[in-house]
Amino acid sequence: MITRFCLICTFLCVTCLTGRAQSRLQTADSLYTSGQFLAARVAYERAIFMSSDPGEQFTAALGKVQCLKQQGLYAASVPFLNSQLQLLYPDSLLYRLRYEQILCAYLAGQFENTLSLLDRLPYLHPTVRATPLLLAIRILALNELQRWQEAQLHFRELLSALPDSATTRQDPYQHLPQLKNAKKAQWLATFIPGAGQLYAGKPGEAALSILVQSAGLYFGLTSFLQGYYLSAWGIGAGLFGSFQAGGVRRTDVLIREVNTRRANAFNTQVRQQILTLVR
Amino acid sequence: MTTSVYWILLAGWLLAGRACAQPSVFSQEWQFAHYLADKEEVDEASFVLQSIDTRQLSRPQLDSLAYLTGWLAYSGKSLELASQHLLSVSSGSPFYIKSQYFGAYCLTFQQKLDAASAVARQLPAPDSTLRELRAFEEAGIALLQRQFQRYDTLRQQFRYSSYALSAEEKHLDSYRAGLQAQKRRSPAVAGLLSAVVPGLGKLYAGKPKQGIAAFLPVLTLGLLTWEGYRKDGPKSLRFLGFGSLFTLFYGGAIWGSTLAVHVQRDQFNRTYDNKILFDMHIPLRNLLNR
Repeated sequence: MITRFCLICTFLCVTCLTGRAQSRLQTADSLYTSGQFLAARVAYERAIFMSSDPGEQFTAALGKVQCLKQQGLYAASVPFLNSQLQLLYPDSLLYRLRYEQILCAYLAGQFENTLSLLDRLPYLHPTVRATPLLLAIRILALNELQRWQEAQLHFRELLSALPDSATTRQDPYQHLPQLKNAKKAQWLATFIPGAGQLYAGKPGEAALSILVQSAGLYFGLTSFLQGYYLSAWGIGAGLFGSFQAGGVRRTDVLIREVNTRRANAFNTQVRQQILTLVR
Repeated sequence: MTTSVYWILLAGWLLAGRACAQPSVFSQEWQFAHYLADKEEVDEASFVLQSIDTRQLSRPQLDSLAYLTGWLAYSGKSLELASQHLLSVSSGSPFYIKSQYFGAYCLTFQQKLDAASAVARQLPAPDSTLRELRAFEEAGIALLQRQFQRYDTLRQQFRYSSYALSAEEKHLDSYRAGLQAQKRRSPAVAGLLSAVVPGLGKLYAGKPKQGIAAFLPVLTLGLLTWEGYRKDGPKSLRFLGFGSLFTLFYGGAIWGSTLAVHVQRDQFNRTYDNKILFDMHIPLRNLLNR
């Protein structure tokens, strides 16, 4: 009789505990499905807080990361996953969390951090081979940092890791973006009026700069010749000098804009190609 | 007979379990919110606290709720909300001391110095360290109010020996000396100086670079006006145009100098206020945020 009683009690306890665990995750999942991401985040956190089962905690952690990703809170996912990595998960689950962390770091625009996390992966999980997606993320992060030569090496590695049909594709790094030389632009803008803007690809601004600087110079010279020495200096030279210095600063801005635009265009094109490859 | 005893025991156990679970719901939710707050997940913690039904909570539970809500608001830099919640914690709560001190600090940070001073006078101080901390916080508020005599009275309670307070106590003393030594500049004198030499008023106000920047255009326009007058006469467009510009810049330099005195004074006061607030905060975190 006692045995029967104990068995019933044990059954009730186990059913109750596992039922609660499942119900916690089901609640969180249903909130996630209905688009209530903050409530779902709390429900997943509750599952992590209440549970001592690593499996449930892991599922909840991934669920919370999905919520954060849906809300575009990629940067918040990185420290959250860091806190989860302190827990005692089996290696295979830790690898999955690290994988998610790398993805989130890249999506959050933390490119240096992405590379650092990727570099740590082979030491922490020496038996696991890098997946094509992780290789792709490394290439994309290197691209964003304009480290295209390193990215090219990893691109080749990615091609070799993919099936043969993919290797026939063109290497985008054969045509790297032609970035303008900031020093050269500055030098041109300093010594030839309008040349800096022209080099940066802005002929209209270059013409305006030439016009204003010439006007200043002309006014200065004519004033000097007419004996208005102070006007020649105060207005002519002042106007010329101000627009000349402004031209140098403006050229610097334009060069940065042009280079960013070209780099972004190249990176976008490579990103599309790489995503097609790994899809 | 034995069977029914076991069944009654089982039913009793199940009912007792349910009954015990009811009052612990608040405690569980509070602990969960606290765990989230510790992880700096402020949105999630606030969501949990807002979901708690406050209608059936006891006074201690309401206090715990007010403390944690206030603490989250403080962490999220919503200091008005933080001071409201923290100062509503009653004296029976284990969070009372921490709430009162941080509530007073939140009021201070919002520049509600009279209210902060009133709260600071009533701060609980059951031991000598907290008595010194209370005096320190009161002294900080007195300095922010520029009540130097009150500060001098309160600083007599400084012992300069506690690890959590000694450095900040010395800092407050140095701020007091710095504030006392502040030179009182007159906007009228600054304006007058700039009328004599454009930009000199800004130099007097403590802004030498701005003084030079004000002097150069006035000098240039003055020279151009003089040149126009000398070469083309007083009715010439050149003289009238440059003369008007010179007058405008000259007047601007005088006006700017009077303003510069106010700006410099505000900057000086703001710099010291920020330093005082920063130093008032450190011992609070060291002694009470445990």
